[in-house]
Amino acid sequence: MINTTDQARALSTSHRLHASMRDRLHLFVVARIAAALLGGYAFTWGFTAFGITGLVALGGDFHEAETALMLIAFLVYLPLFLWAFVATSLFRVWAVLGGGALVMTAVAWGLQQVLLS
Amino acid sequence: MFANFRLAMTWLHTWFGLVLGFILMAAFFFGALSVFDREIDRWAIPETRFAPQHMPSFDAVLKPVYEKLKPHPDDMVATQKRVIGDLPHPDTLTISSLYAYTTHRDPVLTIGAEFDIPNELKDAADEHAHVHGWATIDPRSGEFLSDDKLKIGSNWFYPMHYRLNWSWMLVGYWLVGLAGFIMLVALVTGVIIHRKIFREFFTFRPWKRTQRSALDLHNLTGVVAFPFHFFFAFTGLVIFASWLYFPVGDTLLRPLHKQHEVVEAQRTGLPNEPAGVPAPLASVDAMILEAKRRWAARDMPGEVGLLFINHLGDINGYVSLYRAGSDQVALVGQAIHFKASTGEVLREEPPPSVVGSINEFLTGLHLQHFEHWLLRWLYVLGGLLGCVCIATGFIFFVEKRKRKHAESGSQGSRIVDALAVTTVTGMLIATIGMLVVNRVLPADLVGKGDWEKLAFWGFWLLALLHALWRSAPVAMAARNPAWAEQCRVLAALAFLAVATNWLTTGDHLLKTVFIDTYWPVAGLDLSLLVGALIAAWAGGRLACKSTSFPGMKQEGEAYE
Repeated sequence: MINTTDQARALSTSHRLHASMRDRLHLFVVARIAAALLGGYAFTWGFTAFGITGLVALGGDFHEAETALMLIAFLVYLPLFLWAFVATSLFRVWAVLGGGALVMTAVAWGLQQVLLS
Repeated sequence: MFANFRLAMTWLHTWFGLVLGFILMAAFFFGALSVFDREIDRWAIPETRFAPQHMPSFDAVLKPVYEKLKPHPDDMVATQKRVIGDLPHPDTLTISSLYAYTTHRDPVLTIGAEFDIPNELKDAADEHAHVHGWATIDPRSGEFLSDDKLKIGSNWFYPMHYRLNWSWMLVGYWLVGLAGFIMLVALVTGVIIHRKIFREFFTFRPWKRTQRSALDLHNLTGVVAFPFHFFFAFTGLVIFASWLYFPVGDTLLRPLHKQHEVVEAQRTGLPNEPAGVPAPLASVDAMILEAKRRWAARDMPGEVGLLFINHLGDINGYVSLYRAGSDQVALVGQAIHFKASTGEVLREEPPPSVVGSINEFLTGLHLQHFEHWLLRWLYVLGGLLGCVCIATGFIFFVEKRKRKHAESGSQGSRIVDALAVTTVTGMLIATIGMLVVNRVLPADLVGKGDWEKLAFWGFWLLALLHALWRSAPVAMAARNPAWAEQCRVLAALAFLAVATNWLTTGDHLLKTVFIDTYWPVAGLDLSLLVGALIAAWAGGRLACKSTSFPGMKQEGEAYE
């Protein structure tokens, strides 16, 4: 009798444990998908903006530069997307992707101001 | 969560592949159909079943046509939402720019124009004070084709390929773009998961149980056509990248882009803006002759594919003639620009730079405007192999889980299986059902195209409901009978499409192949018949093959 109650209690604890683990799993997955899709997209956006202004600053033609970066964009996005799922630290993923996006977008904007003046 | 790198890749492949696979399936299938979009148009609009035509005389044929062209009612409605105050009556608006476009496969000519509007725009950043008009004409007579007749190939199946015919907020483009990107992800992760690529190249064991042979076929079609799949997913994304997916040049870098355009206009001598001084239009036919002479002198004689006139009626107006590129992969026009009022050459476009050449070659290879019928059929084959790869992915997903789900009472594999039925046989039923409806509806029905679109979605919805309704056996680890039933419906519809084409137009296969050969129609009829036979055979096999294998031993290799 005591045994079965213990077992039942143990089972219900393990169920609760499983449920909380499942929730954490879902959260993990959602966080990774967000980092991969949005973070990767933002980084690639910054990269193309930075690349175009950089090439124009070096004397390139605007449309040439744009075409070149559009050809590279998805080849940059793809490994970043995969990396977001295998990196050990989600924080590092966001630091690199989000930070990179901000820095490159800001530099692109600054370079544009210089080029226009 | 992921114990190791390979498990993470497997998870990505499985779940992203499953969710976006339903969209990818449509992108691949309608992409395969788009290879023959013009030919499908001929089948669906019988009065256009004549030989492809060159660009007609502008002075004699097109000039009076553009005088009759009016802003399209659809665009009047759309433009009204962007402007302050009521738009003037469409008949009072004048054309500011126009185009005419044809290819080596077009009997009919697509034309369009922008009409200036005096209204102020609601959005200050919006610089497009225009309303558009467009039409399709018979270039032999200049006669307008009825707008009620839908070009099912180029205006329905083709846009299904890249935007699912869902234009609200550009959602369709984004979904297809995401699916295309996930295709790249699935290809890379697929290679990482399987590693034994070379062996899988030669492995197909149809006699093994469904799960095993579905996986064999999934790997085989994925590996054999890997370059094809990667190329098309990648270039498809590149085609829309600068406009939609990464529009940095129209947002963050807009000022730089604008500055470039001003400088570019000075360099090329092609005015960016009208001068406001009216001027007549010189003979465009003379310009066409001169363009052809110049192309021939450069050792690439050709016809005009695209004619474009900007700032029409203004002293700054110019005429651009682009060469029809049926003899080259790259989408280069070798454009020659003329001053509209005098006909003098303003500029002959130089060969593109290295980056430009790469881009034009890649996108040209995707869009395939060049003339190469064998390659055209190989594209169809590649697209269909992609469909097989995705469909077997669905089947493998279901087969791998349905026993486990049957034991635990989960409905997961049942729902996935029903959705797979809908995207495989259901999509074909919608497509071919639409063709049957096209032949059955009276030719002069008002809004005929709208009825056909409704039939397309209606058939697809019915297929979904049928697949869900019949799906209960999957929850008990058996097969959904909807697979077999929809195959049989499909076979019947495809036969019916060929029969109704014969009955309503008199164009039976003996005529279109032998007596009065017309391959666009014969090719579609033959493809429908082959499809009907395959569907009938598959339906029979699916109905009789035993659906479960109790007691069959699990195979040695464990695949995640």
